[in-house]
Amino acid sequence: MVYLHDGSFEGVLSGIYKMFHAKAKINEGKLYEASVYQQSFFELTLNVETVREHAYRVAKSLYDSFGQEGFKCVYYAYLAEDDSYGTLLFRTLKQAYKLGGQAFEALGVEDIRRLTQMANKVSRESHLLLGLLRFSKLENGIYYAPFEPTQNIISILAPHFEERLADQVWVIHDTKRGIGAFYDKEQYHMAPLDSLETIQYAQDEVAFQSMWKDYVKHIAIEARRNLPLRRQHMPKKYWQFLTEMK
Amino acid sequence: MEVYEKLRILADAAKYDVSCASSGHQRGNANKQLGSTAAAGICHSWSEDGRCISLLKILYTNHCIYNCAYCVNRSSNDVKRAAFTPEEVVSLTINFYRRNYIEGLFLSSGIIKSPNHTMQRLIEVVKQLRTREGFNGYIHLKGIPGADEGLINEAGLYVDRMSYNLELPTTKGLRLLAPEKERKQIIMPMQQVRDQMIAYRDMKKHLPSAPSFIPAGQSTQMIVGATDETDYHIIKIAEAMYNRLALKRVYYSAFVPGSTHPAVVERGRPPLNREHRIYQADWLLRFYGFKADEILTPDQPQLDLLVDPKCQWALNHMAYFPMEVNRVPYAALLRIPGIGVISARRIVNARRFSALSYDDLKGMGVVLKRAKYFITCKGKYCGDGDVEPVYLRQKLLEPPRPEQISLFQTHPEVFDESEAIIRGLLT
Repeated sequence: MVYLHDGSFEGVLSGIYKMFHAKAKINEGKLYEASVYQQSFFELTLNVETVREHAYRVAKSLYDSFGQEGFKCVYYAYLAEDDSYGTLLFRTLKQAYKLGGQAFEALGVEDIRRLTQMANKVSRESHLLLGLLRFSKLENGIYYAPFEPTQNIISILAPHFEERLADQVWVIHDTKRGIGAFYDKEQYHMAPLDSLETIQYAQDEVAFQSMWKDYVKHIAIEARRNLPLRRQHMPKKYWQFLTEMK
Repeated sequence: MEVYEKLRILADAAKYDVSCASSGHQRGNANKQLGSTAAAGICHSWSEDGRCISLLKILYTNHCIYNCAYCVNRSSNDVKRAAFTPEEVVSLTINFYRRNYIEGLFLSSGIIKSPNHTMQRLIEVVKQLRTREGFNGYIHLKGIPGADEGLINEAGLYVDRMSYNLELPTTKGLRLLAPEKERKQIIMPMQQVRDQMIAYRDMKKHLPSAPSFIPAGQSTQMIVGATDETDYHIIKIAEAMYNRLALKRVYYSAFVPGSTHPAVVERGRPPLNREHRIYQADWLLRFYGFKADEILTPDQPQLDLLVDPKCQWALNHMAYFPMEVNRVPYAALLRIPGIGVISARRIVNARRFSALSYDDLKGMGVVLKRAKYFITCKGKYCGDGDVEPVYLRQKLLEPPRPEQISLFQTHPEVFDESEAIIRGLLT
């Protein structure tokens, strides 16, 4: 049986709830996002309705059974937006509940290993972007940071900047996925956000941008020049949003 | 002079200080002010030399009354001089920070008038940042050797990290290249910082509201390749720094030639590969439970430039290998080439559930290219062929990358050695 969810995290967890209730077998149960699943004549499908109550019960069970680390692993792997995630999560949980509280450390189990690798990838990109995200000050005083991460990490970045840039109004904008995180000096919330058509910088913005570019150029030691090493740390796909690389 | 111009000059003057860490201290932001610090540290960019940029690293001024031969800011050097005002440093730091360019400030300075006068200027800057601006980001302050004890104690209350650079590993080297500085003058404030850190930590135990004193600890830097110390010498000194002065980090800086001082060893290009190997040895000291005397000895005082120090150690101790990954304790796992701190921890956790096979290790971060010659998995050996150290070393060689080739040409002895081994294999 193939279970289909709506793509949201709550949808995934509702799917897991349904599958455990239906006592799906580890090698038979599959879980996909409805919009990416390729219909096949040989498989029965079931569209799972997203039920907040069901999702909540699964989340609580994950928390209670595997702690914060376990839950984080499940959530981060979701953000990798990998098509195989749903089924992998189901297979992982089938085995993890048998192994007990530390199950996410059992990397000898292939499914658990693959899920943690997925989560680690997300964790790595979000740590990198904590540093590489660039804000520009707009005319109206808002600090605006557009970016296009490979994985859907805006929900990991926002809390970091809520704490750090606590006394300024800012917007983080995933222009690829059309999501924005808005912070008003009190708290942040996330909402859909289309691409902005024109951007008016604040008066002193250009000056600070060019001073930063200058600084980055001058801090390099000429005799140690090593561009491949720089590219290795800071992949080219992020350059279009980096002030100093423009 | 405009701020633009000052920033260029004083960044140029600061870049030979290699410390870039913004780690070691986690500080939240309680009252909606600006800034926080992350325990792991965050890199914000990488410059053209591939080094990470985490902090705004600048000198307050590059005017200097000293004339140290290794230093680009020595008084006899013909470079443009500039000095910031405290307001300028504060404004740059805050504005860069708000745009997420940086994790904080790394402030150092040439010595103007006297050590005390210089130190007072620096304290003025960090005090303004912390108290007037309510800035919670990371601050690394370079201590000025020779400044009064009271000034150090004051500065320590505002900054996250403080450092005094040893620069030349030995007293002899220091006397030769920096005759105006005394080694005692550098070590003494480091001891003082250590004692104060301990005192404040004790106080905090009884009085949680007590302030923190340099919560991210102190670091230092040694120049590699300006004078003729061996690697053994350097890591012995580093080990003493970690053990006796409780330093968080020792940085190593491949000497960039350009000085015409007769005592400076000219090598053409900075010895980057040597610096890289010394860093690896430093990691063995800090995270892998190695002692300096295990890594090198007076008879074998140099690190192998073509294999990493752990491989070098393992090749000299083949009797310990192969080790069974499912059985040996954590400390022994750390001795296996290709297994790092994270993968060792993963192995220890995972093998509680099931015995690990060679394929299981693949997705766990183990560098099997190296590890396979030194391990068995469920009793099975997975390396191929001979384990005679001389042949094994050949298999473990890291081929130099194209951009490093010119570097190897400055180390002809390395080429000769590996060539001899290749010839040995052919006959």
